[in-house]
Amino acid sequence: MADTKMILRVAEILIEELKLEDVTPQTFDPEIDLIDEMGIDSMDLTTVVLVLQDEYGISIDEDDYPKLKTVRLIAEYIEQKLNEK
Amino acid sequence: MTAMNVKHAPIPASEQSAAGSKMKFSQIIADPVVRERWEKVRRWFFLRESTYDMTNRCNIRCDGCYYYEGEKQFTKENGRPGDWRALMESEKQRGITYVVLAGAEPSLVPELCQTCYDVIPLGSIASNGFKRLPERVGYKIHISVWGNDDTSRRIRNAKDLLAKQIDNYRSDPRAVWVYTFTRENIDEIYAVMEALAGNGCRATFNMFSAPVGYAGPLRHDAGSLARTREVMLDILAKYPEHVLYSPYNAVAHTHRLGLHDLYACSYPRMNPSTDIGLGRSFRQYRTDLTWDRGVACCVPDTDCPDCRHYAAGSAVVTARLYRHGSDPEAFRAWLDYVDTYLAVWVMGYEKGKNLLDRPTPPPGFGL
Repeated sequence: MADTKMILRVAEILIEELKLEDVTPQTFDPEIDLIDEMGIDSMDLTTVVLVLQDEYGISIDEDDYPKLKTVRLIAEYIEQKLNEK
Repeated sequence: MTAMNVKHAPIPASEQSAAGSKMKFSQIIADPVVRERWEKVRRWFFLRESTYDMTNRCNIRCDGCYYYEGEKQFTKENGRPGDWRALMESEKQRGITYVVLAGAEPSLVPELCQTCYDVIPLGSIASNGFKRLPERVGYKIHISVWGNDDTSRRIRNAKDLLAKQIDNYRSDPRAVWVYTFTRENIDEIYAVMEALAGNGCRATFNMFSAPVGYAGPLRHDAGSLARTREVMLDILAKYPEHVLYSPYNAVAHTHRLGLHDLYACSYPRMNPSTDIGLGRSFRQYRTDLTWDRGVACCVPDTDCPDCRHYAAGSAVVTARLYRHGSDPEAFRAWLDYVDTYLAVWVMGYEKGKNLLDRPTPPPGFGL
């Protein structure tokens, strides 16, 4: 399970990079499907991935994008990558 | 028109990365020029395209035409505006924000083009330019040019086509002439471009990409690819105000490898994934308003390994942001490519100066 701090930071990056309005890291539902429910597409997701890679010093493979469907899944993915380092 | 290629400032040493090394994206976009261009293009990341064959009819018949290959040409035509309106409404509902109206000749059904425009106002129309589309259809209009008038007469059976196109679309902000380089017409661009620029018309470049099974004289070979690149760069330098292109476009579309080998085509025909991106949202509708995922791409019936088509590249190269996002030169090249694509495809979008004035290899490949 990803910790709350990580989830909030991922939400914050999504809000900032995708210029989302009417939502804060605290109100961002970590279970919402970013693709199906929020309409985020590959270019948006790539932008977020590039920022996450910088922030956490990890490498996110293009083939893994489909795994990054929710804020919680992204946070868990990052934690797994950090643990592998 | 502001498109120009200028000598750009050298990439600062602090931003240069050794070949193959990685650099932080945040460092790359810290450069104010790069950041400005990044912010300019990313506003358009909401575009989600699909393409639509509008009619089975055309007023000319060209050798190597994509439309008259395969089964789609035999599809029953649906000319009912109400059905098209319903289709556009449902497309909008599923998130499509950009339409490409093509096959065979959309200007023959202007009322259907208008119907599409009324519902989804961003898009483009591929036309031979023989018949002018009404101004109220506010899409970009891509006017196909396949060489000089002699060549047009020979392979398109069309007399004085360029003059007719210019008469129809001179000073029309919708119009972009798309010069398709074949193996046979490479140097004809000089006369064509002189005529276009002399009339204030803007052009971009396409590469003939052979339909499946085509082995005729238009298909490119190694020599014609190299010569085309050379000529593209020369024309770009000669007509910076009238050519919407960049050195990276020239590399991506004249490489010995096609777009799929260089960038992994993301259209459904070559991409089985339906998770995200074009593989999820793109559809290619036939004239009977049906679609088939198995053949869905922007130029159906093209031989995929030979595909260097400008429309395919606009989506396929753009989608590979990730691969360009860790090297400052590659990222500048990508920005030039996307800036070009948006200027060609989006009404009102003006191309900026190219950030790079030299060819850059695709990530992971040589020139």
